[in-house]
Amino acid sequence: MLRRASKAQVCRQTQGLNLAIDTASLVLGIETTCDETAAAVIERGSDGRGRILSNIVHSQIEDHAPYGGVVPEIAARAHVDLLDGVIARAMRQADVGFVQLSGVAAAAGPGLIGGVIVGLTTAKAITLVHGTPLIAVNHLEAHALTPRLTHALPFPYCLFLASGGHTQIVAVLGVGDYVRLGTTVDDAMGEAFDKVAKMLGLPYPGGPQVERAAETGDPERFAFPRPMLGRPDANFSLSGLKTAVRNEASRLEPLERQDVCDLCAGFQAAVLETIIDRLDVGLTQFAERFGPPQALVAAGGVASNQAIRGALQTAADRAGTEFIIPPPKLCTDNGAMIAWAGAERLALGLTDPLETAPRARWLLDANVTTPAKFANTRAGF
Amino acid sequence: MLILAIDTALDACAAGVLDTSSASVIAQQSLAMKRGHAEALVPLIAQVMAQSGVDYAALDRIAVTTGPGSFTGLRVGLSAARGIGLAADKPVVGLSTLAAYAAPLVSDNVGAPIIAAIDARHDHLYYQVIAGDGTTLLRPRVAPLDEVFDALEHGAPRLVGNAAALLAQRWPADAPPPLSVLDAPAPDIAWVGWLGAAVSPGSAPARPFYLRAPDAKPQSSPLRFAPQPPA
Repeated sequence: MLRRASKAQVCRQTQGLNLAIDTASLVLGIETTCDETAAAVIERGSDGRGRILSNIVHSQIEDHAPYGGVVPEIAARAHVDLLDGVIARAMRQADVGFVQLSGVAAAAGPGLIGGVIVGLTTAKAITLVHGTPLIAVNHLEAHALTPRLTHALPFPYCLFLASGGHTQIVAVLGVGDYVRLGTTVDDAMGEAFDKVAKMLGLPYPGGPQVERAAETGDPERFAFPRPMLGRPDANFSLSGLKTAVRNEASRLEPLERQDVCDLCAGFQAAVLETIIDRLDVGLTQFAERFGPPQALVAAGGVASNQAIRGALQTAADRAGTEFIIPPPKLCTDNGAMIAWAGAERLALGLTDPLETAPRARWLLDANVTTPAKFANTRAGF
Repeated sequence: MLILAIDTALDACAAGVLDTSSASVIAQQSLAMKRGHAEALVPLIAQVMAQSGVDYAALDRIAVTTGPGSFTGLRVGLSAARGIGLAADKPVVGLSTLAAYAAPLVSDNVGAPIIAAIDARHDHLYYQVIAGDGTTLLRPRVAPLDEVFDALEHGAPRLVGNAAALLAQRWPADAPPPLSVLDAPAPDIAWVGWLGAAVSPGSAPARPFYLRAPDAKPQSSPLRFAPQPPA
């Protein structure tokens, strides 16, 4: 723990020095790790403040809706068809030419590899033409650094990231300095919402559908398990809860509309209680190891659920810290967060070679310390 | 015309710079590889461009193979080609791997029909039948290997592609044997460039040519629901 703390301090000191000497930068960011084809241009001032010049997101929801979830090959096909057009729009809207860019950042993982390959290869190709630096950004790091763009939040702070692919509690100590306090041992939270929606016959994307159905449901009709409650670590498990919903639903067949609402309400209530409990543990661990956080920050599509926002606010209140949530467009996947993370790394002189490999899996903790040759192993998220 | 040609659709990672005014290949590199195109391609392009001494601004167009082939591989090539095209403001043209395989045989002008065939796995081929003069007799398709032999009405063919040897091996005893068999893991990158120079950008879009739909089926919930009362 001591070693960690001192490393974080060194990193913060280094950044302090760089803040004083770095100059303004213009960075193009590319995001293709899941089902959004996105590009954005941001400006980072020499004072470390960011400004979004454009932020184009093309959602593929309609392409995946018939399948009740993201189909990797369909996503990859859409990314290659759409990406250069989305980048062109982002550059036009920002009124910036490629030659003016200080860097091109792409999400190099973790995510669906077919899409990551398209985004990273396109970014590399763009850097070739004008000799622009490439920044291979960890998608999770981009979520983690977003509150510095939106709220100029100083380090350290605690991130709760919950999306269709990720569920993590992360101590954000500095650029490239992250400690994962908790993660899911099975399904991601957004994935659990989508799967519950799918089994209950609700359309994709299921998260908002479950939230809506839960509004008119009785959360106490079913006694669903609260997985991991009271455990000393800050991990999540959602697979058992999902199975409990399925078992209850099978028992009720044929399902009435009210059954669906009650199942959704019961499921969501179990998730809320789990979130508060897991964040209690995570935020306590944070304070013990790194001192009080500047804030609890939410990121990922799941944070657009109002009931979950309420749970996050409760967790922050209990820990005596501020709760910050970036605007919805910057919570879900977008290019601005990639561009911003790229600008933060560029300011520290962190750029990447053209040989950089796309990664389906890429631990956030391993962002700086993992040698490239180990980066593509199946180490898990 | 100065052309940058790129091919990663099959078992090679290749790039070349060609000049049509002198009919010469200025620089080219081709690495045999089954995977790893995403890591290897852009550094390879950088190397070939540096060797050629040609600036991106001096290029007239970029030519890239669009498939059929490895879905991931062809997307690597297309992403790189379109990324360069976007940043350098140059047109990008797409060529099928089948056409690129057949091009040198058409150019030989022997006259016999050409079957360009690519392994599509599980005893299937991507293939196309082309007349000696370059016109298409049978459009590109994916089909069980044995269906290729239905195309023999056009006379003894010349075989080319990464499935040419496989096809020759399975050739029916009662059919006129192939005139030649040219098996290569990937098309010659120079021919990708020459074809790229010959086509018009409007008719050769740099879009993936998969020949196969994504392997996904719509799913519905296995649960039974009570009929909804009419709203």
